[in-house]
Amino acid sequence: MSKIGHQPEGVRPPSLVPPPLAALFSLLIPGLGQVLARSIRRGLIIFFSYITILGLMIWRFRLAAPRDTGWLNIFKKALKLDNLLLSATILFALLLLWIAWDAYQIARHRERTPVGVFFMIILVFFALGWQIGQIDLVAMVAQMDEAGPPLARVLWPWEKAIEREEETVQAFADIQVPCVGEPPAVNQVSGDEPTLVATPTCGELSTQGGEPGTTLHLEGYNFSPDNPVAIKWKDPLGNVFRQRQSGEYVVVTPDADGHFAIDIVMPYRLLPPSADEPFYIWKVFGEQVASVGPAHLSKDFKLVVEKMIETIFIGMMATFFGVILAVPVSFIAARNLMSASPITLVIYYLMRGILNVIRSIEPLIWAIIAVIVVGLGPFAGILALTLHSIAALGKLYSEAIESIDPGPIEAIQATGATWLQTVVYAVIPQIIPPFVSFTIYRWDINIRMSTVIGFVGGGGIGFLLAQYIRLLDYRSAGMAVWFIAITVAILDYVSAEIRARFV
Amino acid sequence: MLEVRHLTKVYDDGTVALKDVSFTVEDGEFLVVIGLSGSGKSTLLRCINRLIDPTEGEIIWNGVDITKLQGEELRKMRRQIGMIFQHFNLVRRSTVITNVLSGRLGYTPQWKSLFGQFTREDKEKAMQALRRLGIEDQAHKLARELSGGQQQRVGVARALMQEPKMILADEPVASLDPVLAHSIMQYLEMLNQEDGLTVICSLHYLDLVQRYATRVIGLRDGRLVYQGSREDIRAMTDEEFKNIYGEEAERVSGGLQGELQSTRGGEA
Ligand SMILES: Nc1ncnc2c1ncn2[C@@H]1O[C@H](COP(=O)(O)OP(=O)(O)OP(=O)(O)O)[C@@H](O)[C@H]1O
Ligand SMILES: [Mg+2]
Repeated sequence: MSKIGHQPEGVRPPSLVPPPLAALFSLLIPGLGQVLARSIRRGLIIFFSYITILGLMIWRFRLAAPRDTGWLNIFKKALKLDNLLLSATILFALLLLWIAWDAYQIARHRERTPVGVFFMIILVFFALGWQIGQIDLVAMVAQMDEAGPPLARVLWPWEKAIEREEETVQAFADIQVPCVGEPPAVNQVSGDEPTLVATPTCGELSTQGGEPGTTLHLEGYNFSPDNPVAIKWKDPLGNVFRQRQSGEYVVVTPDADGHFAIDIVMPYRLLPPSADEPFYIWKVFGEQVASVGPAHLSKDFKLVVEKMIETIFIGMMATFFGVILAVPVSFIAARNLMSASPITLVIYYLMRGILNVIRSIEPLIWAIIAVIVVGLGPFAGILALTLHSIAALGKLYSEAIESIDPGPIEAIQATGATWLQTVVYAVIPQIIPPFVSFTIYRWDINIRMSTVIGFVGGGGIGFLLAQYIRLLDYRSAGMAVWFIAITVAILDYVSAEIRARFV
Repeated sequence: MLEVRHLTKVYDDGTVALKDVSFTVEDGEFLVVIGLSGSGKSTLLRCINRLIDPTEGEIIWNGVDITKLQGEELRKMRRQIGMIFQHFNLVRRSTVITNVLSGRLGYTPQWKSLFGQFTREDKEKAMQALRRLGIEDQAHKLARELSGGQQQRVGVARALMQEPKMILADEPVASLDPVLAHSIMQYLEMLNQEDGLTVICSLHYLDLVQRYATRVIGLRDGRLVYQGSREDIRAMTDEEFKNIYGEEAERVSGGLQGELQSTRGGEA
């Protein structure tokens, strides 16, 4: 590596110390050897890089072994826990040796400047960056299949776009507890009414001690096919509870004819002791939630569409206000218009300064501020994006104004045109194309931004998306993502078309 | 008749671009202004139509002092003086026909012109001008799509639309090749001879000066250092030449076909 080198501008003056001594100095204080070899800038760069790396290493070691005291303990523990830290440490040690070797080379060859040591420094930074960034490719691959189902829902969310009205279907059978005298009649299947037929129609409950109750044979007719039926009870007090079988709720799925058959053991249930009733009537029933009526767009789908429209309008309004306000601002921020007098020049510098500050703060942060001022909702998003648009467009517009060619202005003036005619015939034709182009560009950005501005409460689809993700409703989130993607794609196309036409 | 008297121009930064320049131009003359780069040729031409306000002196044109005009009067004066520029100064993103029509702005009511409303006669006149210059088929192209020579013809057409009595041409052919240069100069000559327009033109090429000028003035560092007829410039002595172009300047090929550009002192 040390052979890689380029010809320096000039040959260095001879080293102050012999090469081995330079190496030794650099081993003690990295960079010192290079400084003594009269390569001062190189020595300083090496020194400060080394100090920075050292500081980072100490920080990461303490973080890796927070409960240990004594630097040796921390060192050992951290190395044991963290392989990445181990490799970084090895590289770090190598770096020190390399710096010494570099000092030797620099002191020895006055005309050669090897660059290997800088590669080494970059490599150590990279290793540390890997550790600090907690980059874990193994976890990424290992967790891939866990991410599969939610991802699949995001990628193809459209099952959620359509829904049907739901109706609860219940079919009851009376059960007499205990069997006394005449039990209730067995239900008869009539027409296509959902019917539950239980036999026998009387029996004993299970006891607290674990003595099983009577086994009932249930047959269901005319239920909606392939749609799970929950078996439930309604006790004489009117309380509903679900039938369990070995700890699980009992659910049966009817066949294609809507028929099912199942045996259940009558449950245990403590009832307040009652007076002189000889028996109670319990009700066992099958309950099914069935979709009825025609399919229609789901509530979530409609919400996503509504919010998407809101989003587009946030972007549009922000662009609209941004353009209207950026035009006057851009005249104040154009040097060629403002250099006439010292006062206007001061205004120009002020304006430029303000624009730069506003522009350097991200729209998301402006949105947070706007939410504090005007509360949650689209208006906050519009305010934030408008502000950022004024600053960004103001700068672009003013640069367009600054770059107009004075030639045509002079020529139009020479024809005897008035001031207004000169503006219309010589200035506006020159600034319209860049203005249109910048405006479309901004519109594009604003719509993209308005899709995420909701994450911080600025209204639009981002708000909804964040909510769906928090509720783990990946299908609805998927619909939102799809709409964003479609909108942005259309936007890309449209803005490219407009630009091609105007500019 | 145009009379320039004691004209001086000092720019805001203190540059003295013209110093006490006086000369007269008879109607129908083809006056060529020569001089080194920076000698004040452009400044002089721009003072005549007041794109630049002179610091001192008078410019009397047909009895009116141009330097005193303001507002409406100034614009009425300007529209009688067509101007042609080295870099054409077309509105490059507008169509050729719009560029030509803008020569009529001085005659068009302001509110109409704001909506691009020119009279039918003006539009016909514009097409006629383009036809006269041989580029009528380019009328609806954007100005920037034309070649340099075509653009300069559009510049000439725009000036023609003003129905000018005088044409100012600031190095009209300096960005064109020699063949195109001659064709543009021939248009100017035609306007000068057939329509009787006064032409004031700054030039860099000596052969063009000799071919087209009826009279020549030379500027050096803002001072008028030479006045002569076409014959005079053919007979120009080395001393006169050095007087205009400086001591270091050398004549190339005896000055007859010579190109003054190559003799610009210090630049080579
Ligand atoms: N707007 C201005 N402000 C200050 N000085 C100027 C300005 N325009 C021209 N000058 C100066 O005035 C002097 C004359 O310039 P002018 O453009 O008239 O020369 P020119 O003879 O046309 O030169 P060229 O052949 O290069 O076009 C030059 O020294 C120039 O630097
Ligand atoms: Mg000039």
